[in-house]
This record gives sequence, C-alpha cells and structure tokens, in this order.
Amino acid sequence: MLRNRVSKLAAAGAAGAMVMAVAACGGSDSNTSATPGASAPAASAVKVGLAYDVGGRGDGSFNDAAAAGLDKAVSELKVTSKELEATQGETDTQKEERLRLLAQGGYNPIVAVGFAYSGSLAKVAKEFPDTHFAIVDDDAATGANIDNLVFAEEQGSFLVGAAAALKSKKGDVGFVGGVDVPLIHKFQAGFEAGAKAVKPDIKIQTKYLSQPPDMSGFGDPAKGKTAAQGMYDAGADVVYQAAGGSGGGVFDAAKASNGLAIGVDSDQAALPAYSAVKDVILTSMVKKVDVAVFDFLQSDVAGKFTAGKHVYDLKAGGVDYSTTGGQLDDIKTQLDEFKQKIINGEITVPTS
Amino acid sequence: MGNATGPLVYCHNRCPPSGTPRSKEAAITTATANEPAVELAGITKRFPGVVANKDIDLKVAKGRIHAIVGENGAGKSTLMKILYGMQRPDEGVIKVDGSPVTFGTPGDAIAHGIGMVHQHFMLADNLTVLENIVLGSEPRKGGVALDFRAARKKIKEISDTYGLGIEPDMLVEELGVGDRQRVEILKVLYRGARILILDEPTAVLVPHEVDELFDNLRGLVREGLTILFISHKLDEVLQVADAITVIRRGTTVAAVDPKEVTARRLAELMVGSELPSPETRESTVTDVVALAVRDLRMGASGRSVVDGVGFDIRKGEVLGIAGVEGNGQAELVEAIMGMRPISSGSITLNGRDITHWSTLKRREAGIGYIPEDRHRHGLLLESPLWENRILGHQTRKPNVRGIWIDRAGARRDTQRIVENYDVRTPGIEVDAAALSGGNQQKLIVGREMSGDPVLLIASHPTRGVDVGAQAAIWDHLRTARAAGLAVLLISADLDELIGLSDSLKVILRGKIVADIDPTSVTPEQLGSAMTGAGEGA
Amino acid sequence: MSSFLDRMLGRVKLGGWLAVAAPLLAVVFAAVITSVILLATGKAPLEAFNALAQYGAQPRTMVTIINTGTEYYISALAVAIGFRMNLFNIGVDGQYRLAAVVAAGVGGAALVPGVLNIVLVIVVAVIVGALWAAIAGLLRVTRGVSEVISTIMLNSIATGIGSWLVKNYFGVLTGNELATKEIPADAHVPGMALIPGTQLQVSGFVVLAIVLGVAYYVLLNRTRFGFELRATGKSESAALSSGISPKKMILTTMIISGAMAGFIGMPELLGSSYKYGTNFPTGLGFTGIAIALLGRNTPVGMAIGALLWSFLDNSSDTLQLLDISKEIVAIMQGVIVLSVIIAYELVHRYRIVAEQRRVSRELAAPKGPQQVEGAPA
Repeated sequence: MLRNRVSKLAAAGAAGAMVMAVAACGGSDSNTSATPGASAPAASAVKVGLAYDVGGRGDGSFNDAAAAGLDKAVSELKVTSKELEATQGETDTQKEERLRLLAQGGYNPIVAVGFAYSGSLAKVAKEFPDTHFAIVDDDAATGANIDNLVFAEEQGSFLVGAAAALKSKKGDVGFVGGVDVPLIHKFQAGFEAGAKAVKPDIKIQTKYLSQPPDMSGFGDPAKGKTAAQGMYDAGADVVYQAAGGSGGGVFDAAKASNGLAIGVDSDQAALPAYSAVKDVILTSMVKKVDVAVFDFLQSDVAGKFTAGKHVYDLKAGGVDYSTTGGQLDDIKTQLDEFKQKIINGEITVPTS
Repeated sequence: MGNATGPLVYCHNRCPPSGTPRSKEAAITTATANEPAVELAGITKRFPGVVANKDIDLKVAKGRIHAIVGENGAGKSTLMKILYGMQRPDEGVIKVDGSPVTFGTPGDAIAHGIGMVHQHFMLADNLTVLENIVLGSEPRKGGVALDFRAARKKIKEISDTYGLGIEPDMLVEELGVGDRQRVEILKVLYRGARILILDEPTAVLVPHEVDELFDNLRGLVREGLTILFISHKLDEVLQVADAITVIRRGTTVAAVDPKEVTARRLAELMVGSELPSPETRESTVTDVVALAVRDLRMGASGRSVVDGVGFDIRKGEVLGIAGVEGNGQAELVEAIMGMRPISSGSITLNGRDITHWSTLKRREAGIGYIPEDRHRHGLLLESPLWENRILGHQTRKPNVRGIWIDRAGARRDTQRIVENYDVRTPGIEVDAAALSGGNQQKLIVGREMSGDPVLLIASHPTRGVDVGAQAAIWDHLRTARAAGLAVLLISADLDELIGLSDSLKVILRGKIVADIDPTSVTPEQLGSAMTGAGEGA
Repeated sequence: MSSFLDRMLGRVKLGGWLAVAAPLLAVVFAAVITSVILLATGKAPLEAFNALAQYGAQPRTMVTIINTGTEYYISALAVAIGFRMNLFNIGVDGQYRLAAVVAAGVGGAALVPGVLNIVLVIVVAVIVGALWAAIAGLLRVTRGVSEVISTIMLNSIATGIGSWLVKNYFGVLTGNELATKEIPADAHVPGMALIPGTQLQVSGFVVLAIVLGVAYYVLLNRTRFGFELRATGKSESAALSSGISPKKMILTTMIISGAMAGFIGMPELLGSSYKYGTNFPTGLGFTGIAIALLGRNTPVGMAIGALLWSFLDNSSDTLQLLDISKEIVAIMQGVIVLSVIIAYELVHRYRIVAEQRRVSRELAAPKGPQQVEGAPA
C-alpha cells in the first residue's frame, strides 16, 4: 500500500517535471525572441517579474497588496509572471542578483516591492536600459527606465486619524510605527493632523518599534504587542499601526485590552489572517499598492511606460480608508467631508 | 572503581573483625551428585587482536556460589558477556542444564534462565520498585492494560521466598544502595532467572551492606539458584564462594577450592608470578627539606576541610598520608598544587615560599603531580600520547620553543617515556583513551618524572591498574626516591602506604592526628588509627 | 570518554578517510530528504538539482558564492575558536554588527586617506569586536554568567547601540535608507577578476579569509596558546591541574573570537556597500555557528561548509524561478547540519572501537603471547 502511494507520488512528480520542462522550454524560446523595450506585440508575450520584500506573498500587508495587483494583471492583461522573494538579512548584492536574474531571464517589466530595493534597483536598471522597472514606495532610485510608485500615505492616515479621534472616548489615541524612517513619518504626520483636526487637544502617544538600520520593527509581532499594550494601559483606546508584519501584535493587544486598532496597507479586517481580531479593527488605511502595480503593468503593456514619480493620493484613489465591519457607518459623512477637502486642496496634510 | 587496588591480600578496615566465621554451610548442603548448571568448554573469543577469551573451561555446579576471579582486564567481563548473550563466542560450547545453547541476544540468555546484575544499577529513580521491575516486560491484561496487581503479587512472592525484603511500592530514590542492588536482583529473578551473574557486586557497597548481600546470596543458593560471582576482591571471594575459577590473560588457569587456598596464593594465581611487594629497603632520607608546609588551613573557619596541617618532606623521603577518603587529603594535594585557595598557612619548596604561586609556576619549579583521577585530571583522553606528554609541561623544553609547540621534541620525548616506562602502545599517535589503565598511568608517571622534579605528589598512584603496572610504578617511585626525590604519597592501599613510606601521618577531619612509624605498624593498626579509634602505634 | 556534545562541537577529531566520509554521507542524506520533500510537494527533484547545478556553474554565480562564502567563513572561524574550548559564543552576531557600525562610522569620517583608512577601519572593527566579546568573557569569569545567556543579550544590546550610533552620529538619510556616510572611494578594497566570463569580481577579502584560516590553524595547532585552548576544551579539569588557568583562557578566547568576529563585516563594508545601512547583512553570526558545526571546526572543513552554505543561500532565487518555495533551501541546510552531526556520531563510535582494536592488535601481534594487556580502559 505504501509502495503504491510512493509510486503514485513519483508519477505525480515525474508529471510535474515534464510540465515544468515544457514550461521551461517555452520560456527560453520567448526569451530569445523577446525584444525588450519595444512595444509588446501581444499582451500574452509579456513576462512580468516581481521581486517582493521580506515576507513575500501572504504577508497580510504590503507584499500581499502588490500580489493582488499582479494577479489582476495576470487575469485581465493575460501576462505571465514570476515572483521572487527576499530573505531576511540579505545584502544589497543579493537583491541586485535577484533583479538581474529576472532581467536576464527576459522578464520585462519588473516590479520591485519596497524601498529596500532602492539602491540595488538603481544599479541594475542602469545595466538593463531596455527593461522597464517600477519600484514601490521609493523615489530615490531614479532613471529613464524607472517608474517610482509612491503614495500619499499622509492623506489616508489623516482620515483614519480623524476616525480615531471621533471614535475615541478617552481623547487618547496611539500610533505604532514599524521602523523610524521617513516613509513611516508620513503615516504618523497624517494621523496626528487628522486626529487634531477633529479634537485639537487630543492626546497622541507615539512609538517606533525599531530604529534604522535595524529593520526588525517590520517583522516582530511581539514588539508590536508590547508597544500597543503600553499605550492601552496608559489610557489610549484607539491605536493606529503602520508596522507591517508587527501589526498583528497590535491587534492582539487591542483585543486583550478591549481597545480598538486601525490597520494599514490592506483592508486588514477583511483578511483571513486577522479574522480572529477583526472586531477590534476599526478601519484600515488602505494603500492601494495593487492599483499602482496594476496601473503600471497596464500602461506598460499598452506601450505607455513613463518614467519618474507617480504619486497615488486620495484624488487618484491610491489611498483610502476601509469600511469593512461597519464600525465607521455613523461617522462616514464626516470622514468623507475631510476626504473631499483634501482632494479639493482645502486641507493640506503635512508629511512630517 | 572503589578501592580496586589490585589484589588486596589482607583485610583492611572494611573487613569484619577477626573471628567472623566464613560461612560455608551452603557449600556443604548441595555439594555432591549434581550436573553442572552451566558448562563452558573451549570458549574462544577473538576481537581483532584483543585478549578476550581463549579455551575457557568452566563448570558451575547447580546451587552454588561460583566465583570468577582475575585481574582487571583478564577477560572476566568478556566471558560474562558471552554467557549473557551480549557477545557470541568464535569457538566453544555453552551448555545450560546439560544441553548446548547458542545466545544471540541477552533475551536468549534470559529465556534460558540466565540473568545479569550489572555493576552499575539501571534503575529509574523517580519510579517505584514495581514499575522499575516490570519495565520492559510489562504484564498485560487482555493484551492491552497493564496488570500491576499480578506483578505486585509476584514481586512479593519472590521477595518473601528469597528473603530480599523488597517493598514494591517504594520509590527507588528513597532506597539505599544495598536495597537498590536487591531490586536489581529481584528484577532478574522476576524475569525467571535461575542462574545469576553478579558483576563486581560489592564495588558500590559499604562493609555491612556486603555482609547483607552475602546473606542474600546464600539464601538464593539455598533455594536452588546458581550464582556466578565476579570479583577481584579476594577476601570477599574467599568469604562467600563455594568454588573459585581463576582467569588470567583470557583463559582459565585454575579451579580451586576456597577452603584450601590462601588469599596470597590466589593472588599469585591471578598474576601468574610471585606477588610484587611495595617494600622499600633501606632509607634514602637526607637532611635537606624539599617541601615544608606550615599551619595550612582551608575552608571557612569552623568548617575547615584542612585544619592546621604542617609537615616537612626531605629529599629522598616518601611521606605517606593515611586517612579515610574525604578527610582533607584531596584538598591538601590541591592546595600544594595551587589549584585551590587556602585560608592561611605557608608552603615552601626548596626554601622558596610558593604559597602564592600559580599552579604553572609551581610545576615549573619542580612539582610533579600524579592525580587521583587520571581521566579527569591527568589526561586528554581524546588526544594522542605525545600531546598528553605536553600537558602540564607546556612551558618547558622539549615540548615548546618560545610560543611554538615543538612537535618533534615532544614526540621524541614521548618515545623516550614509552620505552623507559614500558608503556605498551603501538605508537605515540594513538589516543590516550585507547590504552589500558595501567599503561595510561605509566605514561603519567613517566611524564611527571620528566624535567627533574623536586617533589612528586602521588595521589593513589596505582589505583585501578593491573598488578604488573603496579609493580612497575612502585619501582619507579623507589628509584626516584633513591635519586633524591621527595614524594608525598596519598593512598587508600594500606600495604602500599606502609611499604613505600619513610614516614606516615594520619589525617582525620582535616587534621594530622598521628605520626606512625611504617616499619612497625600493621595495616589493621593503621586502619583503626585512620578511623580515630586507636591513636598512634 | 568524550561527551556527545564534544563530538557535536568537533572538539574530537576524526582521522583519515572517515573525516571525509561523514560529511559526504550527510550531504547525500540531505539530498535524499530534500527529494522526498520535493516529491511530496509535487515537484521534480532532478529538475531542482539540475537547476541548482546549472546555477552554480555560471561564472557570475560562482563569484557571488565565493563572496558570500568569505563572510560565512570568517564568521565560522570566530565561532569555532570558542567551540574548540567549550565556549558557545552565540554573540558573534552582535560582535560583528557593532564592530561594522563603528568601523563604518570611523571609515566614513575619512580621518586618514586611502589605504590607511582601510587599515583603520579594520583595526577599529577588530578592537570593537574584541571588546564587545570581552564583556561576556568578563561576566563569565567574574560573575559566572553563562556566555550563552550573556551573548544573546549582548546581541540585542548591540542592535540598539548600532541604531543609536547611526541615528545620532553616523547616519545619512537617502530616501528611506538611513546609513552611515559612505567610505570614500580611495579606501575601497578592490575585487579581483579571478573568474572569467563575468564582470563581477571576487572580493579582495578572499585573501584575508585564507590568511585568517591559516592563522586559525597555526594558532590552535602549533602554538602553546592553542594547545592550552584545546586542552581546556577537552578537559577543563585536566587543564587546571596542568597549570592552565581556565579563567584566563575563557577571557582570552572570548576576546580572540570577538576580534575574529570584527572581520566578518569587512568584506561587505570595504568591498561592496561601503556603508552600514538597512541592507547590511544580519545574522551572519548564526550562519557561522551552523558552518562551524558542519565543518567540524577544521579550517578546510569550514571553508567547504561556507561555500556550500553560500551556494544554497544564493540559489533560492533560482528555485523560485521553478516555482519551488525558497524555504526548501532552509530545509536542506537544516538537514545537512543534522545529518552531519549524526553521521559524525556514527563514524566516531566506529573510530573509537576501531582504534582500540588496532591498538590491541598491534600490541598482540609482534610480541606474541608473552603479554596480554586488558581491554582498553
């Protein structure tokens, strides 16, 4: 019986190998015939390369949002794709190698997810001038073949800040940032401005989980929990987290303290990973990396690649707040007023 | 190892007072007309090269205590392993109750009613006696559930039948050593053994426990069981055995009747020659003091482990320290070696105050050290012999040249030691662990005698070595003494102490309590002085 | 007899062909286990191994493997120095990171020009690594704190101090990247175009790594200090009665291990990134532990181990191209280390028995029946 099962397994493996071999052949064919940089003749010939930051597909946050954009492109634009994932503690050289591997394999365009790729992308993009690159969350790496997809996180954060202030009974809210870097400062600045717009004397507690170059604050739920717990204990009743993989800990702390928390990047109350704590997630500051990635892929496939900085703000639908769970139903009109004012330019949200 | 100092011909402090009857009733009751319970004929076991056994012939009568004696390494253990199915003989026949058998595993031996009580107990402390006994042969009820009730009943029965006095529900950790040994015996009986092998059973026991064990053993043979008793303690063997077989160099050399043999004769049979004697003949003591210890104290006041000890050792003198173990000898040695801090007092070597010197500096000044536990303190077991030569002499020629190890020099000098001290080894590249205990010790002695030491501290120098090595080590000590070496000798072997020492001091609870003249003291007198019973001699 | 721990940490040597047999056995075993896992997840093992082999054969990959392996190797050396005398320097990780931060700060300040700056950076790193390790050594000899505990804690503290230094003193913000000021170009250590067919260059630090490996061997096997270190590792009690001060040895060994750790970050700092920032490699100290175990603390064994580890680490992208999860690499690495330990244990037991038999045989053969020594003690 056991032998039977093993042989089936072996057969399955062999079949898999054949399929892969065929796929590999197909791949190498298109590889040689592909003319990078030229406008794609047919959508199906486009091979998209995607390089994730640490965590990859399934991180329940930022990388997942990028993956959603890619999935959409695969189904709607009929592109093929390859996804590679970073390893904890790797060097710039290893990131460069990853991008090179994709570029050499004929993947074009290539999307780098996260500012960690900034230095390596700038270098590799020069080596492959005919390949189109996009980098999410970074405008430091620039070049004629680099599209910088950045977001007005401060605008979305303003809205959830306002929501926090409106929902806070104690007039005390908190902000947990993953790592003390400028990107996360934008979240904090927007959140504070939004909260103060509702209640000028509101108390705001702030905590960053780690200081650069230590990036562990984006991947340490235990740290997130401790920090948030401290805030709830000190009187906060709503805590906003912009801490990537550490965010789960903030939700746990909220659950344990009967407080509320605000998610980030994805609509976290709707994610299966957080189904156990979804009732404490008031809302999420949705950063539509999926939209940005899809837009980039769509325009590139259509031959309309443009280099430079593309800001996804409220107006462009790049950031927003989520309403899953219905906890904001009573204040939705107030929030939408703020939203309109920001779009109109009546309110300018600070970025730091 | 206990006090396994070769053949202890005399009784020391642990022997029963003179006049204790050496009971032989058991032997007399079932002496005749009995087919052997176990018979071995022409048993030969070759490991590639190793002694093991050759042409072993052994007949063990039913219902007897049969002792097998031999030096450490004579092949007793291999023989027992063969009989217990742990090893297969290359040649020869094993018969149990008259019919030939072959054992592939201990399970086969157990099935034929042969059980083994190991020297080291194999009991789980946190389980009860019952649980320990049934472990591995759990009684089943309906094939699944453990039937402890039946097991308890059976254990009670066995215990009562043989007078072992075992309470099945006691926790093993609450039992004393003697009780644990009885549990081990019961465990074997529980599995149906009719023939028991006891491997050095007295090694872990104190004297009154030894007597109790012997009573138990006599009880067992009275009930028809057969016992194979392995030992090298001749006084005990003579006390309990009904028959004795001597093994030497892997083969059976004699079968003797304990009633007709003396301990000394038995020892000579084991060794195969006239026994060596530790006797030193004429005095070589000079007037020059090599080591002076004054008012040495160690440990917190009130609980001193060494309390005001003082003595001189002159060049050419062997000073023996007698004492029951644990009375401060080990601490005293470590203080002189500089391995352990002292509270007060002074130590002077060749007129120089070395009280505050490091161990290394003391060694460089000419102190050699044969440690009590050679495996822990004397050797790097997993290093080749030539690296062991360097140990303790790592700052001196011929082992080093500046900061560099002089490999050629160390190797050359190791070769010298191997030759001069008769260390039996195929070469100096083998690990120390591959040598027998006696050869390891000879290597240590050779090393510590290197570099012209002023003082040699010899702590149990012949403990656990075979008789041949013992004689050689005594010879080396005598030669060095004649050449003017001062020796501090600590030993539990009273013959060794009396025979080698020029003067003797008795240590008790950290204090020197008596000075004894070794020329006029008997081991018995010395033994009682050590316990504080009779002062002086 | 040596304990299992001794054997695991390679404080016990294995002779001859057995020393080669064990790791080979382990790698084969790891390949088998990996194949089973690949099959179980519906992937073809041959395909995967083929892809790995092809990847490994590319010139550019070889350069990457050597460069990463250089750092791994130095890390393994640092760990092995401790292992050889029973010290678990888990703190190599913190030691090299702190050393690299401070060295990067000093190097970025360009206090001296050119080659002098290179020397300065390396010296600073070695000193910082040694001092940081010395804390754990001092805690052990004065307060009896286990170096395992103290170095783990010191790792966290090193992270904190590193961040604090970068943020407050050395840091330059570029985009979202906070890093130390870049070390000026005249103090960059050049690479060597050793492998044809690629523009990537082999790090100049390969030379340093080889020198360190030789130094490690000479120090341990040819010097009095090395003898004392190994003796203490094999038997602290025997060392004590031989006049070796275990406390002195603990402190010295920790310091040397820390100094060696100081070198770990140098290939990256002076040969690749020229600054300490977000993407400076972390966790190399732990990689070093695995490689020291794998290479049995021998200089050559660890070199092979480092290259193997580096190859596996760098190949994860290739596997992902085949849609094989990159975690398979971690599984392979884990299985290799475990099977090396098990294989060595088996080989060790065999060797002990074989050696004792050999000794008895050689003793018995020429001298005939005149003397039989007992079974080995």
